[in-house]
Amino acid sequence: MPLANPPAPQITRTRSAVTASNVWRAYGSGEAQVVALRDVSVQFASGAFTAIMGPSGSGKSTLMHCLAGLDTTDRGSVLIGDTEISGLNDKDLTKLRRDKIGFIFQQFNLLPTLTAEENILLPASIAGAKPDPDWVARIIATLDLSERLTHKPTELSGGQQQRVACARALATRPEVVFADEPTGNLDTRSSGEVLRFLRRSVDDFGQTIVMVTHDPSAAAHADRVVFLADGQIVEDLHRPTADSVIDTMRGFENRVPLAGEAR
Amino acid sequence: MLRATLKGMAARKARLILTSLAVVLGSAFIAAALVLTASIRATVDDLSGDSYTGSDVLVQPVEPENRGDRLVRDGVSAQTLDAIEASGDVAEVSTTVTWMINAIGDDGKIVGALAPTMAVNWGDESVERELRDGRAPETDGEVAVSAQFVTDSGLGLGDTVNAYSLATDETGYEIVGVYGYSGGRNSLSGATELAFTTTEAQRLVFGGEDVYTAVAATAVDGVSATELLASLEPAIGAESEALTRQAYVDDLNAENAEVTNVIGYFLLGFGLIAVFVSVFLIANTFSIVIAGRLKEIAMMRAIGASRGQIIRSVLAEASLLGAVASVVGAGIGVAAGAGLTSIVANNLLDTAGTSLAIPWTAPLAALAVGIGVTVLSALVPAVRASKIPPVEAMREAAKADKPIVAVTVTGLIITLVGATGIVLGLNEVFEADRTNLLAAAVGAGVVFVGVALLTAWLSKPLVALLGSVWAWSFAGRLGRLNASRNPRRTAVTAAALMIGVTLVTATATLLTSVKESLAERFETSIQAELFITGPVTSSVPATFDPALMDDIRDADGVAAAVELYYDLAQVDGTEQYVNATSDLQGGLELFGGEVADGSLDGLGEAETAVNESAAEQLGVGIGDTVSATFSRGTEAHEFTVVALLADNEDTDGWYVDPSYAGEFYTPKPTTALVDVADGADVDAVTASVEDILADEPAVSVQNHEEYLAQVTVFFDYAIIAIQLLLALAMIVAVIGVINTLVLSVLERTRELGMLRAIGMTRGQTTRMVTVESVTIALFGALLGIGTGLLLGWAVQQALVSKGVESFAVPTALIAAYFGAAVLVGLVAAIAPAVRASKVNILGAISYQ
Repeated sequence: MPLANPPAPQITRTRSAVTASNVWRAYGSGEAQVVALRDVSVQFASGAFTAIMGPSGSGKSTLMHCLAGLDTTDRGSVLIGDTEISGLNDKDLTKLRRDKIGFIFQQFNLLPTLTAEENILLPASIAGAKPDPDWVARIIATLDLSERLTHKPTELSGGQQQRVACARALATRPEVVFADEPTGNLDTRSSGEVLRFLRRSVDDFGQTIVMVTHDPSAAAHADRVVFLADGQIVEDLHRPTADSVIDTMRGFENRVPLAGEAR
Repeated sequence: MLRATLKGMAARKARLILTSLAVVLGSAFIAAALVLTASIRATVDDLSGDSYTGSDVLVQPVEPENRGDRLVRDGVSAQTLDAIEASGDVAEVSTTVTWMINAIGDDGKIVGALAPTMAVNWGDESVERELRDGRAPETDGEVAVSAQFVTDSGLGLGDTVNAYSLATDETGYEIVGVYGYSGGRNSLSGATELAFTTTEAQRLVFGGEDVYTAVAATAVDGVSATELLASLEPAIGAESEALTRQAYVDDLNAENAEVTNVIGYFLLGFGLIAVFVSVFLIANTFSIVIAGRLKEIAMMRAIGASRGQIIRSVLAEASLLGAVASVVGAGIGVAAGAGLTSIVANNLLDTAGTSLAIPWTAPLAALAVGIGVTVLSALVPAVRASKIPPVEAMREAAKADKPIVAVTVTGLIITLVGATGIVLGLNEVFEADRTNLLAAAVGAGVVFVGVALLTAWLSKPLVALLGSVWAWSFAGRLGRLNASRNPRRTAVTAAALMIGVTLVTATATLLTSVKESLAERFETSIQAELFITGPVTSSVPATFDPALMDDIRDADGVAAAVELYYDLAQVDGTEQYVNATSDLQGGLELFGGEVADGSLDGLGEAETAVNESAAEQLGVGIGDTVSATFSRGTEAHEFTVVALLADNEDTDGWYVDPSYAGEFYTPKPTTALVDVADGADVDAVTASVEDILADEPAVSVQNHEEYLAQVTVFFDYAIIAIQLLLALAMIVAVIGVINTLVLSVLERTRELGMLRAIGMTRGQTTRMVTVESVTIALFGALLGIGTGLLLGWAVQQALVSKGVESFAVPTALIAAYFGAAVLVGLVAAIAPAVRASKVNILGAISYQ
């Protein structure tokens, strides 16, 4: 069921939080040119948890960076909610990231000078805004961080640090949260905690989440898995399980030569 | 191992350049100071070499041995001149008559601020003069002037210039010529000069006596200078002595060398401070660089490098860096020294040509200091790096800063040792005054080093305090947090600025305290409201006609008026200040002085009054007789002590009747005090006294404030001169802060990427780095001002007995220092902030 070029967004009842249409992205020039994304079109429904998977060099990280306004596209358009982001200048892009996007990184990326609570409130502080205290309290409680708020990142375990990073991403109620290998640096138990929280934030709070991962069991927590290979979307799997993800991966690994022929 | 070091260095060019800047600056300063000193000396020597060109022997008056440095020189007598002219060995003779005078400029004020105005006879051959305009003076009413005089006075050819000396009253002269000096110079070291006929010059300098300042003789062909010297020596009078021109030039050079050496020491002092400061910078940079290379060092250790090899590797890097940087520094220093020489020579000495001298010590000292300082500074970080066990360093790069306990304890001990020195010195524990002063001064220096070591510990609370200024801005708050992130690094960076600020604050505080002490003594002890006096910078002390005192006393609203004459005289073979006044009783009242013993009634001929400690010094009491010879006096006078005055700085000295003033250095009064009657309008009295003095342009009527401003003008010059040090400290501090910030930004690349990713704008990033920079600089300034005030206070306390009784804080200057610190922070932040704001987000967040 390849969906390289979905004609219209009739497959989603709800509106799209993120829409990419015919996105191209290449690096370098001439002989050394590498096309990371070739004519990718994909929509991420609001209130859904989507995983992006694919082998190394498939373009999954580039896609996420382009969707999140961290990287520019060569051609095509990216919408965050109703906002067209291709063509925005650095200042407007920065504001868009600040106000509409949440980030969770593999490396946690907390500020060592700030306490856990200050780190959670960081995006709001940067914006000079005061986040909804009830909302923040609810996230903190859900993530079981109440006891850790005054600790500095160096005093927290990896799992705790990533939970703080999750809270930071959700604190401003962004349109969409992008998570880049959020469990890549965590042990199994901590990974489970983080993934269960992401799932809950979609189910209970209606949050939109796009997660890049290479771990089938992580992808299994999502509502949908989009598979990339060689800069193109090759599979789109709904209601995945770890097994179906693994099967799909095996399946499209066999198709890679096909994609190669398409060149 | 060396190969690895070299490759490592090549890979870190930016850091290398930043580190070396400090070394370059320090060694450049040293080289520049040495070159400048040697070159100025060579230039001045060249000038002296031109003195009395063509002459062979000079005859000068003998300086009386028992009179010390006489203010007024005796002259070579006319008989001696006749004898020289009569000698068969002499082909030509020229005479010199010269001394300082005062000339009144176009604006009615005395010409010349700090450089003197000289009178000379036209025909003097001590320097070569070149007439540029007009002609030589032919009558006693004519004068030729130096080109510099035309510039400074605003008078020109055909104008009349009024001039007077110690010996003459104001006289008008017609300017008939304008001249320059050999080499196209307008002046000799900035001094202005007026050339008169020899007779008029003798009247101005020697009061009309037919004597000369010097006589130069040229030998006939076939007679050498030494032969001429031998033939002249028996012929000249006892008042004179002869020497060859070469000996004269050598003497002159030796005198000049003393002056140029002072300039050299001053510059070397600056250089050494720059070097001292760069020790902090270099040590800091090496610490940071090594911290960034912990993994690399651990890897080296893991594959078998010994601790010694690690240390040697770091030291090799340091000596290579030091060598390259000090070669560059020596080059820049020599070039700067040469450039400065021509600036100094042209502007200060007014010499057209300069002689460049590059002593071999200049590059050598620059190299030795540069390499030595770099290697020594790198030693501590190198040893520390070698102590790290391989496993520890290979783990996540050591996050926690090394504990600062050891440094803090050491700093505390050193500070206490220094403080003990100050306390001992101030309480005069030691017998000799000099030892006490030394203990306090050395103690102050030691405290300084101690506080520098304490900075790391002080940085936490102080940076937090300073940072609260930025609390309103989140970017500012992050910047403040970053500044306190690594106390050791922040402290060392701030210390670079602290050192300079401490020195300027301490000096400014001390000088301000001296000024304040003077002002306070004025307020409390001096009754007179008005002072009549001239500028302290004039060549000849400004004087006025004593006959005007009666008019002043008769003026409405004047309660009392007292004039003062002064002289540095020989009393019983020692130099003493002697004053004369027609109303000693009144003078004492106005100055707040008191008679301790005896009576002042009828302090007449052959009677004197003196303060107690001066009498004690000479071992005399009431009824005893002293013998005094005044500056212009030819014979001693006997005086009987009739009264002893209580010691009081304003009235200390010997007092005699004004009838002796004719023999004083200044035969007319130099100062007068006017007491305005209670209830009278001070402004009105000032105006009427000014009217009375309308024909005396040399002096003016001043109130306390104006008078104080005038007598303390030299302190103001000193305060300004010391601010140059601040400029130097600022330059070094900027380099240091840039260094630290660039390295910090580099270390925090990933963090910056994350902040930009989650929505921090470029502007906010720039602000964050700028705040960090300004906070570090302000911290340095705060420490410097604190330590400086403390040191200034300590020295002021040590000088209380010398009359520095008040402690005053130079608030305006301190505010300016904070301003300078902000400037340092802003300038230093530019490059690192731009770098931080342009961080590649994608590259940064995937940066491991």
